[in-house]
Parts: sequence; structure tokens; C-alpha cells
Amino acid sequence: MTQQNIVVVDQLRKSYDDKEVVKGISFSVKKGEIFGILGPNGAGKTTTLEMIETLRPIDGGTVTLDGIDVAKDPWAIKRVIGVQPQTPAFQDKTRLKELLEMFAAAYGEKISVNEFLADVDLVDKANSYAETLSGGQRQRFSIAAALVHNPKVFFLDEPTTGLDPQARRHLWELIQAIRDRGITVIMTTHYLEEAEMLCDRVAIMDAGQIIALDTPKNLIKQLLDRGFTKKQHVEQANLEDVFIDLTGKGLRD
Amino acid sequence: MKTKLRTVLVFAKINTLRFFRDPLALFFTIAFPILFLFVSGGLFGNNSNVSFKVAIINQSNSQFAQQFVDNAKSNNVFKIDNTVTTLDAANDKMVHSQLDAAIVLPQDFGQKQAGKNYPSGQAKVYYTQNNQQAGTALGAILDAQFKQINSKFVQTDMPFTVSTEQVNQHALTSLDYTFSGLLGFSILGLGIFGPINLFPELKKQGVLRRLSTTPLRVWQFFLSNVITQAIVGLFGMAVTFGFAIAVFHLHVIGNFLEIGVYLAFGIILILGIGLALGGWAKNERQVAPLANLVTFPMMFLSGTFFPRFLMPDWLQSITNYLPLTPVIDGVRLMITEGKHLVDLGPQLGIMAIWVIVIYAIAFRVFRWE
Repeated sequence: MTQQNIVVVDQLRKSYDDKEVVKGISFSVKKGEIFGILGPNGAGKTTTLEMIETLRPIDGGTVTLDGIDVAKDPWAIKRVIGVQPQTPAFQDKTRLKELLEMFAAAYGEKISVNEFLADVDLVDKANSYAETLSGGQRQRFSIAAALVHNPKVFFLDEPTTGLDPQARRHLWELIQAIRDRGITVIMTTHYLEEAEMLCDRVAIMDAGQIIALDTPKNLIKQLLDRGFTKKQHVEQANLEDVFIDLTGKGLRD
Repeated sequence: MKTKLRTVLVFAKINTLRFFRDPLALFFTIAFPILFLFVSGGLFGNNSNVSFKVAIINQSNSQFAQQFVDNAKSNNVFKIDNTVTTLDAANDKMVHSQLDAAIVLPQDFGQKQAGKNYPSGQAKVYYTQNNQQAGTALGAILDAQFKQINSKFVQTDMPFTVSTEQVNQHALTSLDYTFSGLLGFSILGLGIFGPINLFPELKKQGVLRRLSTTPLRVWQFFLSNVITQAIVGLFGMAVTFGFAIAVFHLHVIGNFLEIGVYLAFGIILILGIGLALGGWAKNERQVAPLANLVTFPMMFLSGTFFPRFLMPDWLQSITNYLPLTPVIDGVRLMITEGKHLVDLGPQLGIMAIWVIVIYAIAFRVFRWE
């Protein structure tokens, strides 16, 4: 399977004051995959994303996205990426349909607002203000807002943090649907089962370096090959399965 | 370019709608100036005739004295305080500035002196140190009145006389004069306190940061804010004008269209200061002291509520160059003297220089987060 690389990160570096938080990392993201960056807090995940997203100046190394050098032409990059921040917020007293219209306008686009709201199950909220949305609704709306210009690469920073299990599963389905539309997804998370279920490949970051990069399956296999055995015996189901079974998979918000 | 401007208009349209959904913003933009108008209109509204608050203490029981009192009550030069009947009471009120002066008609006032066939007498005007002007003016007014009365009783020749005639066709009331200061104050509030409250809040929530991931340019963001503020500001000021004309009989001599254009330019100028401060600030705490430092001189020295002609010359020549001063002066010249935009070259010149300086700074210091 030869897939084209859409993002190529080479020897990327970033320091704040004297502290180097990203220490010359290199990786590539294939077109049409969901690429996960895992790691504990402070590993440098968000900083890495922000450099690729043009939000932070790059101290060293290069990032090429869709053939464009991020440092050289940030304005061209902004047109081909969609960004979902960690905690999406929108200006108050503005209806969802108006916010979408504004985001589209920022890219110089005119869109059918209802289509985009339908994609994220929020048509009935078209006339609501963003501040009245629940956490899951806000994440979904934020995804719609990030896709108004049909980007090639979509970045999500810890999208499911703080969501209940139903909302999280709903968001997973949404992210898979976006990938199925041909949009490359790059996301950070610290929920490992989320990475395992969702991501085609994951990079594990710690202390500013990538310490492993492969498909979730291969990473687990490599670990087992090294002779790893889990101390606890593996349940056929976990508490989350019980919770979902009892409360239903349907989204409530 | 056309697409880029469409972006600006979409932002301006939605932000204008948003403004009209915000009760607090509406209060400060529309209700607040009207409240100010009622306060200042109430203070200055009825003083097209100078009127003195006086007490008349009539100790005489002559018919002439009674007539004099009735006469004084019916003319609008005096506002007579009927509750004061003794000189002590009048003194007390004068000390507290509730009364400008007291006129005492002594016991023999208006009586005919022996051997004369007309009444005579001497009215006394009492005033305190803090009312010297009122006291002398009142003395002069009474003197003139008595001269008129005297001439009815005793024929005298008056080889020299004075006649006065008003030349200003449109008598300026205090409101006509202070109204432009009120508009200046509105522009200051809207243009500076709007952005310095809104932007840091939007930064805190990450709303502006999100916009910075889009191709939206700073000039588009600024321009959409300018358009929104100009619409909102002109709307608010149109309401204020309406009230001032309908309720307080404001005389507007100039052309409304030109006044509107001039005010819009004033809004653009002052909003630039707000954009610079709010665009620079990371949070509200950081910007508050600087905003006060910039705003207070304009609030007090640009002629909003304190007339600049009362200031010493050196202060006037400095405050001429504050950004808000030409805004207020120009509007005043249009409202009270009917000046046109072409007559306001000096004011427009100072404003244009400030616009360039302020926006150059605003673009330089702006940050999305």
C-alpha cells in the first residue's frame, strides 16, 4: 500500500525561553488517515500541532503540508487546514447559523449552513446561541465550523476531553465519517482506547520526542513480542461497556 | 478583493445584529446618553433668560411696595423664593448658595415724603461673597428699573442713552453648546470602552485565536469592527439628536448628512484607540490603567463637559491637539454655526493625522491571543 504523504515534519524544534519542548521530531502523515499523537500532559503535543497549524513560529526544522512549506507560506496553509482547538469557544449572542456564515466568510466562501449543521446533527439548533450548547454539541458545532472550507487536513486537539461516553462515541463516528470523505485527520488525545479504536497510526510523544510510531495493532504486537504479559486478567467487557449497554448508545444532549 | 470585502461585510452585519441583542451595550450606547441629556438639559434647559433666585423681604405696607413685589414676581428676571420672609432666613440660604441675593424693601419704602407728591424709597440688595456677580448684576437691574419708574414721576432730560440690540440670530442655549460635548463623550465610551472590554474577553475564550487559524486578515477584522461601530454609534447618536430636538429644543443649524459624516469620522478615529488598546491587551487587568490614562485627559480636557474656553490659554493650546477635541469642536461648529465640512479643514487635518498614527500603532500591537 503506497500512500502519498500529505504532511511531512522534519527535525521540528521549539523552545520556550531556555526550555526545549519539541526536540527535533520527524514524522509523516499519509493522505486520508487518522493520525493520532499520544502522550502525557506537557509532552509537546499541542505545541507540535500549533506549529503545523501556523499558530506558533517554528524554531528549527521544516513542515511541509500538501506541498506547501508552513514557515514560508502560512497564508496558503490556513486555506487547506481546519483547526479544532482544545476548548472551542464562540462569541456570545450569535446564532449558530450566523457563526457558520462568519467562518465561511473568513475563507471567502458562501455555504449552505443547514447542510453543515445536518452533518453534525444540529439543524434544530440553527437559531440558538453557541453559549446554550452542551459540551458535546459545542464540539460537534466546532467541527462543522472547522470544515466550512472543505480543508485537506483537519486538526483536533483533545476533542473528547470532558465528554460523557455517549457524546464521545458520537464524536468518534463523526471523525471517521470525516476521514471517509477523504479528509486527513490529525488529532491529539490522552485517552488510549480512543486512539486504539479511532487512529490508523499513532505517534507516542514524551518529553518533546517521538518514542514510538506505528499502527495501534503493531505497537501492541511489538510489546507482546518483547514478552510483555498483562498482570490482570482481561475482561470480556469493561465498565464503559456496561454503562453504554444500560444507558443506550443514543446521543443525549 | 471583492471576496475580501464581502468577508468584512458578513462580519460587520452579524456583529451589528449581535450588538442589538446585548442589553448592556444598548443601555450604554442609547439610554446612557439620553440620561445625560436629561440631566444636562434639566440643568441648562431653561436659562435662555438669566434668572436670579432672590428673596424679597417687604417690610413696607405701602401700595407702591406691594406693586413692586407683584411686578417682580411676574417677570422672569427673578425667581422669587416665597418661603423666605426675614433677612436672617435669607442669609442662611445665601450661605448655602440656595439663594443669590435678598432684596429688602424697608418700612418707609414707597411712602410719600413730606412735601413731595410722589413716593420714594431705597431698596437694599444683600448678597454674600460667593454671589458677588449676582449681587452687582441685580443692583444694576434694579437701578435700571427704578430709573424707568423715576422718569414717570419726575421729568428729566437724558441727553445720553444706551440702546442694546441682539445681533446673533440664533440664540445659543447652553444645551446647544454642551450637546456636542455629550456626543463626544458617547464616542469616547463606545469607541474605547467597547473594544477594551470585548477583545480581552474574546481572547480569554480563544475566540480570536480560532479566527487566526482562518485566512482572515487583521485589516478585515478591524474594518468590520469599524463598520459595526459606525452603524451602532450613528444610530445611538441619531436617537440622542431626536430626543434633544424634540424634548429640549436643540437648534441644529448645520446639515445632518454632513454632521453624520463628520461623526462617523470621529468614531473611526476614537475606535482606533480602542482597537489599539483592546487588540494589544492580553487581559482586562492589563489594559484598564492604560485605558484610563488615555481616556481621562480627553474626558476632561477635550470639552466634553467642561468648556475649554474657561481653561488658561496654555492648556487650551495643548488640548487643541487631543484626538477628541477636533471631533467635538467640529460638531459644535456645525450644529451652532452651520459650518460645512469644507470649513473644518484644521479639525479634519488634526483628525486625519491622528487616524494615521493610531491605526499604525493598532496594526503593529494587535495580537490574536
